[in-house]
Amino acid sequence: MKRLLQRANKKVDSAELFKIKSKTIPVNFEVNKLKSIDISEQEGIALRIINKGKLGFSSSSGKGNFGLMLEKAIASAEYGAIASFTFPSNREAKKKRSLEIYDEKVKNKSVEEMVEMGENLINQLKDFHQHLRIDVTILKNYSQIEYINSQGGSFNYYKTAFSCSIVAQKIETKDILMVYNSFSSGKDSLDIEELISEIKENLQWGEKIVPINSGRMPVIFTPKAVLTLILPVLSGLNGKMVYQRISPLANQQGNKLWSELFTLYNDGTIDFALGSAPFDDEGIEMRRFPLVEKGVVKNFYYDLQTAGLTGVESTGNGLRPGIENEPIPKINNLIIEEGKVPFPEMIKDIREGIIIDQVLGLGQGNILSGAFSNNVQLGFKIEKGKVVGRVKDVMIAGNALVELKNIIAIGERAKWIEGQFKFPHLYLKDLSVSTKAN
Amino acid sequence: MREILTSALKRYQNKADYLEIRIEKTENNTIQFQGTRLEKISSSQQVGGNIRALVKGGWGFITFNQLDNLGGKVQEVIQIASLISKGKSKLALIPPAREIIKQELDGDFRRVDLKMKKELLQSYNDLIMSYHPQIQSSKAVYTDRFSTVYYANSEGSYLEQEKPFLSVSFTAIAREGDNVQIANESLGTTRGFEVIKGLSSQAQRAAQRAVNLLQADSVEGGEYTVVLDQKLGGVFIHEAFGHLSEADFLYEDKRMRKMMKLGEKFGCPELNVIDDGSIPHLLGSAKYDDEGVRTKKNYLIKDGILVGRLHSRETAAKMKEIPTGNARALNYRYKPIVRMTNTYIETGKIPLEELFSGIKKGVYARDCYGGMTTFEMFTFSAGEGYMIRNGKIAEPVKDVVLSGNLFSTLLNIEGIGNDLKIIESGGGCGKDGQSPLPVSFGSPHLRIKRVIVGGK
Repeated sequence: MKRLLQRANKKVDSAELFKIKSKTIPVNFEVNKLKSIDISEQEGIALRIINKGKLGFSSSSGKGNFGLMLEKAIASAEYGAIASFTFPSNREAKKKRSLEIYDEKVKNKSVEEMVEMGENLINQLKDFHQHLRIDVTILKNYSQIEYINSQGGSFNYYKTAFSCSIVAQKIETKDILMVYNSFSSGKDSLDIEELISEIKENLQWGEKIVPINSGRMPVIFTPKAVLTLILPVLSGLNGKMVYQRISPLANQQGNKLWSELFTLYNDGTIDFALGSAPFDDEGIEMRRFPLVEKGVVKNFYYDLQTAGLTGVESTGNGLRPGIENEPIPKINNLIIEEGKVPFPEMIKDIREGIIIDQVLGLGQGNILSGAFSNNVQLGFKIEKGKVVGRVKDVMIAGNALVELKNIIAIGERAKWIEGQFKFPHLYLKDLSVSTKAN
Repeated sequence: MREILTSALKRYQNKADYLEIRIEKTENNTIQFQGTRLEKISSSQQVGGNIRALVKGGWGFITFNQLDNLGGKVQEVIQIASLISKGKSKLALIPPAREIIKQELDGDFRRVDLKMKKELLQSYNDLIMSYHPQIQSSKAVYTDRFSTVYYANSEGSYLEQEKPFLSVSFTAIAREGDNVQIANESLGTTRGFEVIKGLSSQAQRAAQRAVNLLQADSVEGGEYTVVLDQKLGGVFIHEAFGHLSEADFLYEDKRMRKMMKLGEKFGCPELNVIDDGSIPHLLGSAKYDDEGVRTKKNYLIKDGILVGRLHSRETAAKMKEIPTGNARALNYRYKPIVRMTNTYIETGKIPLEELFSGIKKGVYARDCYGGMTTFEMFTFSAGEGYMIRNGKIAEPVKDVVLSGNLFSTLLNIEGIGNDLKIIESGGGCGKDGQSPLPVSFGSPHLRIKRVIVGGK
């Protein structure tokens, strides 16, 4: 890396190298049986340069020809965007409490162990219900990141990830009940019992299909479904959208827009959360800061380039969506602060309403405006404080930036979703529900 | 390359029921404008490969960037496949294919310099930004990619296929106070640089649609008779039915197989659905799929009856059907799985005006943001919508997302227009983490009753 950087330094004003090396092993079970085992080895290097004030970028995987890469980066810098920043020298980065994102146990986990884990899971679910179709993927990942730039900034770290995802389906003549659950963490800490008990509860609740009428009604989003409401908020808080003045939140910093029960953090400092790392992908320390505090818009999130254009500091959110892409503002981990109300209490509170557990069509439509409109892929009806069955052919719609004003309660226990989002249950006063005319 | 691949296979072919190696070399360029600013200009090169082994019914798969020691990797993948081995391997028989396939381009984008690409994109972006004072921002993205895929298997197939891909997409963002609206237009092609030279009207259309959306009200939720334009009709058939005809999720599942039994009635007698990877130069086309099977025209629904499905060699063998050439991999990082290619509804007889007649209150949904499916349920969202009142197109509406159910929505198709159009958009299809895979889709205008639209 150092030698490559020296070569680049000779030709351009300043440069940055980012290298990833990773190994991922998924074990796949299909229709209750072990089907395939994969090994995915990945290696790639990305070069970003600033030459005559302009940005250039090139990347390569495999045995890349660095000369060619450098040439391409220089060519692209000729027409490139004007750089609004200099590469950070992170020499003075404070030595914080060391962040834990690497678990030797994950790295050393044997494929046999993963197979056994999957078989155990499938057997437990089959004991519960004989005719389930179960698809499972258990996956371990190990990666190494190296970074170096002309300003003397450099870092490297190792990271592990372990995840398990389950799709259980109960298939009848003209009905499929599909329940999804997953666990991801940097640590080997899967609680199979918990994963399975949630699936069982959903299967039980979903046994019977019950009718429902269109209209506005109270809804509870489970942690799995909360992203439906948060995705538009995230888009609005993205520094890039704010800089372009296309975020509806662009002028709202410091204003209270939503329920004061609603507090949202970006946090890249949590041990073993999948979005945690000592630095973002361009050498800025990751941190914890509020995006929304008690309903007030507090902060937007930035990478270096967008921060520079805006005239603020990067928030440590410059992340690369793949080695072939330059950093853009992305969330580290996302935390909604827990509330006080247990999920069963929320259910008891509702005379007629629904629980939304899985939606279809996440991110479709005009997120930027706050709008969402989704098929309720798994949802349950509540009548007089009790879950009475599953609803089908139902859609929910609204504008997240409006609906978040009407939070009645937030769950007392948040759950990690995809290893990166820590969300509690979210109970809204009402939401528009559409379904078949009878 | 041929020598390297076949010799690595030869040494180990007695240790597995089936082996294949794929090596892929790719070069690509991306240019992106955001608002009036050039946001990004970059190029990348990738070299990578994978090996797949089938041992007693179990699959092992390894993907890598370092091409050295292929023999060692073959050994490793046989070893992990052997961990599974509990049954019998089954693959449909195909004749070994040996061919080198080059692509003739209408304008070889590899020879067009970056500056010219940038200037072309900039001219489109300028059209969007200057269209109207309410245009607040834009996003114009140019992508080109040229891949060469080298493929060999233990049955003697050896293929080299060139795969060019080019796309341009326009996003226009209009704003009036807090009201922010977006419209997209995009084009994908395998044909060459000349194809993307005349896109001014598409760029302007994106801008026009975004500005128009500012005046639209959100649609009212409920059940409607809808008319879909050709693009949304194409997305509809892709989501509502196409994915269910992919045999890989039903071949091991008795209940699902029963549900998707050939001969069952799935739509009205006028409904014909086809997937065809052999049409020259479409986004989903290739002479051979990623298992070396010749692509062909496959009827999925004929006269409303389910008559076929899409297969890999394994699913075809296990269901005792003929392989269809639909095993496709996004790139060397992924294994081939059953995918659509170019999927469309055959043209019908009804002129467009007639499709609207008799609809008292309905929705005319055009263009598309995207779609999704989980077997039974699916959704797809329109980029543009209008109410239909008393048989006439009326006021514009926004945020139109439609949702349906496999077992009823296809049967609810009431009218098939006479204006089939195949759409080649810049996006693609996603399945099992492999996204965006280039596909095309198409349909005539469709009229469907009892579709649920989400809304206020």
